[in-house]
Amino acid sequence: MPPIPTKSEIRNRYLLMKPSPSTGAGLYIHVPFCTSVCLYCDFAVTIAGEERRNAWAVGVVREAEMYADCGLTFDTIYLGGGTPSSVVPERLDSIFVGLRGQLEINEGAVCYLEANPEDVTLETTTLWRQLGVDVVSLGVQSFDDEALGFLGRQHSASVALAAVEILLAAGFHTVSVDLIYGLSGQTPGGWKAQLARAVSLGIDHLSCYQLTFHEDTLFGRRLAHGLIEQVPEREQAELFFLTHEVLADAGFEGYEVSNFAAATRHRSRHNQKYWDHTPYLGLGPSAHSLANGRRWWNRRKVRQWQTAVDSGRPPIEDEERPSREELLLEALMLGLRTTDGVDLNRICERHGIDLLATNAATIDRFCKSGHLHMDESRLRPTLTGLAIADTLARSFNL
Amino acid sequence: MDDIRSFCIIAHIDHGKSTLADRLIQHCGAVTDREFRDQILDSMDIERERGITIKSNTVTLEYTARDGRTYRLNLIDTPGHVDFSHEVRRSLMSCEGALLLVDAAQGVEAQTVANLYLALEYDLEMVPVINKIDLPAADVERVKEEIEEDLGLDADDAVLCSAKTGDGIEEVLEAIIQRLPPPAGDPEAPLQALIFDAQYDPYRGVVLLVRVMEGSLRRGQKILLMHTGKEYDVEEVGLLQLKRVKTDELAAGMVGYVIAGVKAVSEIAVGDTITDVEAPADAPLPGYKEAKSVVFSSIYPMSTEEYPELIKALEKLKLNDAALTYEKDSSAALGFGFRCGFLGLLHLEVVQERLRREYDLSLILSAPSVRYRITLTDGQELWVDNPSLYPDPGSIDGAEEPYIKASVMMPERYVGAVMELCRDRRGENTTFSYLAVGRVELTSEMPLAEVIFDFYDRLKSVTQGYGSFDYEMIDYRPTDLVKVDILVNAEVVDALSQLVHRDKARARALHYCERLADTIPRQQFKIAIQGAVGGDIIARKTINAYRKDVTAKCYGGDISRKRKLLEKQKKGKKRMKMVGAVEIPQSAFVAVLKTDRD
Ligand SMILES: Nc1nc2c(ncn2[C@@H]2O[C@H](COP(=O)(O)OP(=O)(O)OP(=O)(O)O)[C@@H](O)[C@H]2O)c(=O)[nH]1
Ligand code: SF4
Ligand SMILES: [Mg+2]
Repeated sequence: MPPIPTKSEIRNRYLLMKPSPSTGAGLYIHVPFCTSVCLYCDFAVTIAGEERRNAWAVGVVREAEMYADCGLTFDTIYLGGGTPSSVVPERLDSIFVGLRGQLEINEGAVCYLEANPEDVTLETTTLWRQLGVDVVSLGVQSFDDEALGFLGRQHSASVALAAVEILLAAGFHTVSVDLIYGLSGQTPGGWKAQLARAVSLGIDHLSCYQLTFHEDTLFGRRLAHGLIEQVPEREQAELFFLTHEVLADAGFEGYEVSNFAAATRHRSRHNQKYWDHTPYLGLGPSAHSLANGRRWWNRRKVRQWQTAVDSGRPPIEDEERPSREELLLEALMLGLRTTDGVDLNRICERHGIDLLATNAATIDRFCKSGHLHMDESRLRPTLTGLAIADTLARSFNL
Repeated sequence: MDDIRSFCIIAHIDHGKSTLADRLIQHCGAVTDREFRDQILDSMDIERERGITIKSNTVTLEYTARDGRTYRLNLIDTPGHVDFSHEVRRSLMSCEGALLLVDAAQGVEAQTVANLYLALEYDLEMVPVINKIDLPAADVERVKEEIEEDLGLDADDAVLCSAKTGDGIEEVLEAIIQRLPPPAGDPEAPLQALIFDAQYDPYRGVVLLVRVMEGSLRRGQKILLMHTGKEYDVEEVGLLQLKRVKTDELAAGMVGYVIAGVKAVSEIAVGDTITDVEAPADAPLPGYKEAKSVVFSSIYPMSTEEYPELIKALEKLKLNDAALTYEKDSSAALGFGFRCGFLGLLHLEVVQERLRREYDLSLILSAPSVRYRITLTDGQELWVDNPSLYPDPGSIDGAEEPYIKASVMMPERYVGAVMELCRDRRGENTTFSYLAVGRVELTSEMPLAEVIFDFYDRLKSVTQGYGSFDYEMIDYRPTDLVKVDILVNAEVVDALSQLVHRDKARARALHYCERLADTIPRQQFKIAIQGAVGGDIIARKTINAYRKDVTAKCYGGDISRKRKLLEKQKKGKKRMKMVGAVEIPQSAFVAVLKTDRD
C-alpha cells in the first residue's frame, strides 16, 4: 500500500482535474448502511445505529472538503449503497447542504437516489422531492414473494408495488426499478411475466441484473458448497436475450447490458460517466474515483474510512494510473457494454490510436459475424455483440 | 593394470541399477554422507523427478578388497529404457565386464534379455546379480531358474544383494574383482583411446569420456580423432570420481576424461578413436554406429516470439544429446519450428521436458510419425516423415513403412490378451514360446507406427504391469497409407495432420476430434471439428457456441477489477493459436497427442 497522502498532496495529485468541456463530472456518495444484509450482496455495507450513521454523514462532508476547489464541476449526484433511502431526510439534507458548500455542483445537477421499497412512503417521497431528488432507483428485485425470500430481501411484492405507485405519483423525473433474474428454477415464462408486470406499471427505466455469485457472499459460499445452483450458461444467455427482446417490444431501449430506458431522457446520465471515462468523484467507504488519468478508491471498511476522515486524513486505500493500453481496454470493455458503442474518432483523439487501422481484421470479423456494426465513426455492438462484450473487448490488439 | 576393473551395470528398467551404483559408491567411500543423495549419478532434473536414468554415467572408485589390495573400479550406470539402448551400447564398448541385474520379484524381463545380448555382442564377461532380495515378493529360486533357462547363464554364479539395505554389496564388489578380467593393453604402444561418451561443460567445452585401450594420454599431447581427422591439443586429463579429478595421464586400461578444446558435441563422433599425432596407431578401434532417429515430430514455440530462443535451446541441447536431430520446418497454423528426430517416444518426451524446464519454453509438438518410404509413379523414391511433405496421392505408386520385431515377456496367463493387442496393432507372424516357470515370450512383427503410439501403455494395462517389452527394427514393408487431416471450421490444422494406415484412419481421426472438442473452449460461434482423408470427412465433432459472457454490472468500483480480469484473459489468449477465427489453446495440442486411453 502506498503511504497515505497528506491533504496537500491530495490537492496536488488529484485536484487539478481538467474539467470536461461538454459534460460535468459525476459525484457518487456511498451510503454504507442497510437494515439487514441481503444474501447475495457484496457491497460495502453494514448495519449500524444512528450514532454511526450520523458520524458517516459528517464524514462525507469532511471528505468533500478535502476536494474543495478540485476544479471539477458536477452535474450528477448519485446516492448509492447500501440503502440511501434508509437515511433520514434531515440527514440527507445536511449532507446536500454540506456538499454544496464544498464542491462546485451545478444548479441543475441531476440527483439520484437508490431506495428500498420498505422505505418509500408518501412522507419520505415528498421530502426527497423537496431535497431535489430527480431519479429514484427502486430495489424491487422481484415481484415474487418466494424469490424475495430466497434473496433475503425485507420487502414483499405488494410493498414493492405500492412503492412504485407512490413514486410515480410523486412527480420524479425518472422512476426506475431494479430486477434480478437468473435465480435457479426461474423459467423463461416466469421471467417474462415479471418483466410484463414491471412494464405494466408505467415506469421510466428498468435495470435487470443477472444474479451474480460473488465469492465472499453467503450465496457464493453456498454455490461453492453445492447448496445452490447457478443457471446453466445456455439458459442465462436465453434469459438475457429474452429480457432485451421483451423490453424492446414494450418500447424500452436496452442502451446497456442491464439497463433499459422508456425514452432517451430517462437513461442514466450518471452511470454513463462510468462507461465513457467522464471524471467522477466518489465519497464514502469503498467509493471509487476517476480523474486526471488516475483512479483511486477509498477504504472499504466503514470504521477505517471513518477513522481516517475523522482525523482529517484522506480515506484512500490505493490508487492506480492506468497505462494507455489499460485505458484503451477499459474504453472498449465499457463502451461495448452500451449500444452507443465506442466512438473511434474519440478514441483516436484521446489515446492516439486508430483502432480501425490497427484492428481492421478483428473489426471486420465481428462485423461479419453480426456482433458489431459501424455507424459513422462509432463501433456499436448488436444485441448478440452486447452479450459477448467481454470477448469483443478482449479481441482487440492494443 | 591388474588392479583395474571396468564394468557397467545393465538391467531392465527399474531393477535397481542406479541404486546399486549408489551403494557401491558409498561402500568405496567416494562420497561423504552429507553429499550423498539417492541415485546420485542421475544428475538431470528430469532423471531425478521421474526416477529413471536417461544418460549413462561413469564413476571411478577405489576399493580395498578382502585380499588387501586396492582396486580401481570404473563403473558405468546405464539406462534401462529401450529408447536409450544406444547409451548402453556405448558404455559396453569401454568395459570388460557387466553386472546383469535382475529384480528378485520381477524376474527376467525383456530388456534383461536385450541387454544381455548386447553385452555378448561386445564379448563381455557377465556377473548375474539378483537385486531387491529384501522385498517380501522376492522369489530368488524362481529368478534363478529364469536366469538359467531364459538367459542361459549359470545361476549358481549369481550374487544376491539388496541395493536398498546394502546386503551383499561386498559380495558384489568381490565378484567384480575376482570374476571380471582386468583390461589388457600396453601403455607403451601407440595410443588408441575410445571415445564412449561426451558431455558439454559450459566453461570447458566438450568433455570427452574415454577408455584408453593402448598407449597413454597426457596433457599437452597432440591428438588425432581418427574418423573425423581432426587434431586437438590435450588441455587436461583426469578421472571421473563424481567430480572431475585431474591426473597426469591416463594409461592403457584406464577410464577417464579428456578436455581438448572441442567446441560442440556434434563436432566429434562417439565411438571415434583418439590417437597420437606424432605416433599414430595403425587403425582405429572397431567403430560404433550412431543411433538413428525413428520417431519424428515438429516442435513449435507457443508464441512466435520464442522462436529465436527455441533455436538457441536446441543448439544447446544438441551439445550433449547427439541423438537429437533437427531441421527447420514451418506450419501455416503454428508458424516456424523444427522437425526433430528422436530415438523413441520417451526420448521425445525427455527433449520436450528439458526444453520446457531448462529453457522455459512452452511448445507445441506435432503428432509423432515414423519415416515412410514412398515410391512415385515415375519410379522416384522418397523418404517422408513429415505429413506436410506427403506427395499428392495420385502420384504415389506405393508406400512402405518400418517394421519392428517386438518381443514381449509375460506370465502365461496374459498370452491371449497380448496376442489380441498385437493383432489390433497389425502384428504379423506372431509366435510364442515357453520360458521358465509359466512364462512366455511372444514375438511379433509389427509396424513401428503402431508401437510408438500407446503400445507400451496398453501392454502394461493388459498384463497388469507384468509384461515387458523390447523391440528391434527389422525391415520396410508395403503399407496402405493415407494422410488424415484435421479441420477446424473447415481450415486444415497442418500440425495435426498425420500419416496412418487406411484401416486406422477413422479411429485416429475420431480420437483427435474428440480430444479437441474436449479441450478447445467454447467460443462465440459454433466450431466444427472434422477429420478428413482427401475430400472425405471421416469423423466429426462440434463445439457449441457460448452466447453470453458479459457481466451484469460494471460501475465505478468494478472497472479496475474487471479490466484486470480481461487483461489476464488476454494474456491467456496470447498462448492461443489462431486457426481462422478459432482460438486453440496449447493444452488442446498437448491433449490430442496424449495417447493414453483413460
Ligand atoms: N526394495 C528394494 N527396492 C530397490 C532396491 N534397489 C532399487 N530399489 C528401488 O527400485 C526403484 C528403481 O531403482 P533405480 O535404481 O532407479 O532403478 P534403475 O534400474 O536405475 O532404473 P532405470 O535407470 O530407469 O532403468 C527405486 O524406487 C529404488 O528405490 C532394492 O534392493 N530393494
Ligand atoms: S439492500 Fe442492497 S446494498 Fe443492502 S444488503 Fe441488500 S443488496 Fe446489499
Ligand atoms: Mg537408473
